[in-house]
Amino acid sequence: MDEIAQLRRAAIAPEIEPRRRPMDVVYTPRGVQRDGVGGWQIMFRELTESSRLIWLLMLRDISVRYRQSILGYIWAVVPQIATVAVFAFLHSSQVLPIGGTKIPYIAYSLWGISMWQLFAGCLTNCANSLTSSGSLVTKINFPREALVIGALGQPAFDFVVRLIPVVAVFIWCGVVPSWQSMFMPLLLVPIVLLALGLGFVLSIANLVIRDTANALGIALTIGMFLTPVLYPPPVRWPFYLINLLNPLSPLLGASQDLVAGGFLTQPEMFAAACIFSMGLFFGGWHAFRITILRVLGYA
Amino acid sequence: MLYGVRDVACDMLGMTRHLSCLRRDEFWAINDASFEVKRGECVGLIGPNGAGKSTLLKLINGVTLPDQGSLRIFGRIGALLELGAGFHPMLTGRENIHLSGAILGLGKYEIAKKFDSIVDFSGLEEFIDTPVKQYSSGMYVRLGFAVAVSIDPDILIIDESMAVGDAAFRKRCLDQINAFIQAGKTIIVVTHNLQEIEKIAQRMLLLDHGIVRADGRPAEVIASYMNLLNTRILLREEFGSATGEPAIEITQMELRGGDGAPKSYFRSHDELRVIIGFKAHRSIVNPVFRVQIFRSDGLFCHGMNTERHGVECGEILGDGKIILRYPDLCLLGGDYWIRAAVLSSQYDELPIHQMATSIGIHVESEMIDGAGVFAMPCEWITAA
Repeated sequence: MDEIAQLRRAAIAPEIEPRRRPMDVVYTPRGVQRDGVGGWQIMFRELTESSRLIWLLMLRDISVRYRQSILGYIWAVVPQIATVAVFAFLHSSQVLPIGGTKIPYIAYSLWGISMWQLFAGCLTNCANSLTSSGSLVTKINFPREALVIGALGQPAFDFVVRLIPVVAVFIWCGVVPSWQSMFMPLLLVPIVLLALGLGFVLSIANLVIRDTANALGIALTIGMFLTPVLYPPPVRWPFYLINLLNPLSPLLGASQDLVAGGFLTQPEMFAAACIFSMGLFFGGWHAFRITILRVLGYA
Repeated sequence: MLYGVRDVACDMLGMTRHLSCLRRDEFWAINDASFEVKRGECVGLIGPNGAGKSTLLKLINGVTLPDQGSLRIFGRIGALLELGAGFHPMLTGRENIHLSGAILGLGKYEIAKKFDSIVDFSGLEEFIDTPVKQYSSGMYVRLGFAVAVSIDPDILIIDESMAVGDAAFRKRCLDQINAFIQAGKTIIVVTHNLQEIEKIAQRMLLLDHGIVRADGRPAEVIASYMNLLNTRILLREEFGSATGEPAIEITQMELRGGDGAPKSYFRSHDELRVIIGFKAHRSIVNPVFRVQIFRSDGLFCHGMNTERHGVECGEILGDGKIILRYPDLCLLGGDYWIRAAVLSSQYDELPIHQMATSIGIHVESEMIDGAGVFAMPCEWITAA
């Protein structure tokens, strides 16, 4: 490292080549110019450079979350089990007319709610990532998307913990997931990218207008009922719109299809949702990069 | 907030804002502050609160973008804007060093290699596995400083962060900064501690209302800073008084040597003449003229006024001149600044008018003159 620093210093020494010295960084009103490389290239380079930082931030969140707590990781599964218990009761007592599911309702809803909480947790954590890191954001110059991406660690970890009751319930109900379920991790990618893309935008919005986090909480509560988490995807008009307009719905549906049947019931919808979440991720990331330096004053 | 949204929208669309006019409640935090800092230079940045010092550092650090103009930076920047900014209170010192190092851009092996020296520098070996929320504020800052300097930057920018920590740690920080200077690194320090900055900086910048007011030798810049503060106080006082325009004002101030030639570099025991030119707008009886000498760190070295000497100035109207002669300037080597004022009486706290430009002087002395403030005549008598 020292050698590189030395070389670099030698390279930029004005007496060696006064006219063509490489400029390390130039800050202008138009943004930051670094070594004259194109935008996306810098974004990817900085992302790979900060991969270790992202990993450390994830480890930090996971290890800090359940310190000074007696029940610890049990807290990760309590909300999921409580929600499912309520809905399983409502379902069995026929208070709510929930349609038939391919696998036992309790297994279906537990799986659905785990997936939903992965999405909701990622989104909430990303949206709060900048505001919760305090002066770090305003005082130190580093790729801040690391904070947003790092915020995924803790909900992802919680998701893994939540798989334990899911597996237990599947065994208890005698549900054997199809062999295609091993592709499940691939299915998680578009869900996480969707959350991350939205999270990039919302983290900036939350920095400027703090109402965002509160509004997001309500939106997610409503969103859970607008997504076929606790009920099978509706096929009747106008409820079918839920499937059509909610990008999460086909992704979630695909995961349920994988567990139950092993084949996708709405492949074209799923593909559209995947493309949408990819687009949202890159769009959100780019918007984040452009706006972050402008909105830091609000942090 | 609407402006912010509009600005962001403009950025996304790649448009530039017309900067010819400012919106309501906007102001230029930094305006027309062009300067260049060379490698191996240690620059002190001083100025009253709200002068734009921290904004300037933020611009240099790249956490704020300029609205006009540009900054060019060669090399890795280490910013000590807020020490321990990346620390998480629940994590231990050890975990925080790793995390904070990664935030500052250190790789895994770099951190591992420097870990011991960081701990050693902070002097927190015993507490390294304690959560930092249980640290005292001094310990917190010490660990923050240790991590921040470990990245071995080419350019170090420091924002009043040395003010915390005990004397021993401050000394270690100063030693570290000196080591950086020796290694040919660039340092920019913002501080209100003039004594400290004077020791390390070779050059100083005075910033006021976002404008560079003075740039040069520490003593000169400190003199103009003192001046600025004095004028500030004076302006406020005048504003408060009903009289409005002062009855008498100092129009000129000059330092001369024994031969009567203008001079700003002196040797101990030289002759110094302080020439004060004044103008009385109204007839004024027996005003008191005062001259004060301060060392660059603010130490009040000497003060004298006409009343103490029993000099009666009589009735004054119009232009005039008065000279204070020091036949033997017994100050020791260093930088000083001299301030002149007119008062209505010796015990008057509030000067009628003070010279708008205090003057900095540089004094050099010999070994034989001793150390401290004054070159006092003395001799040793050995007992027979």
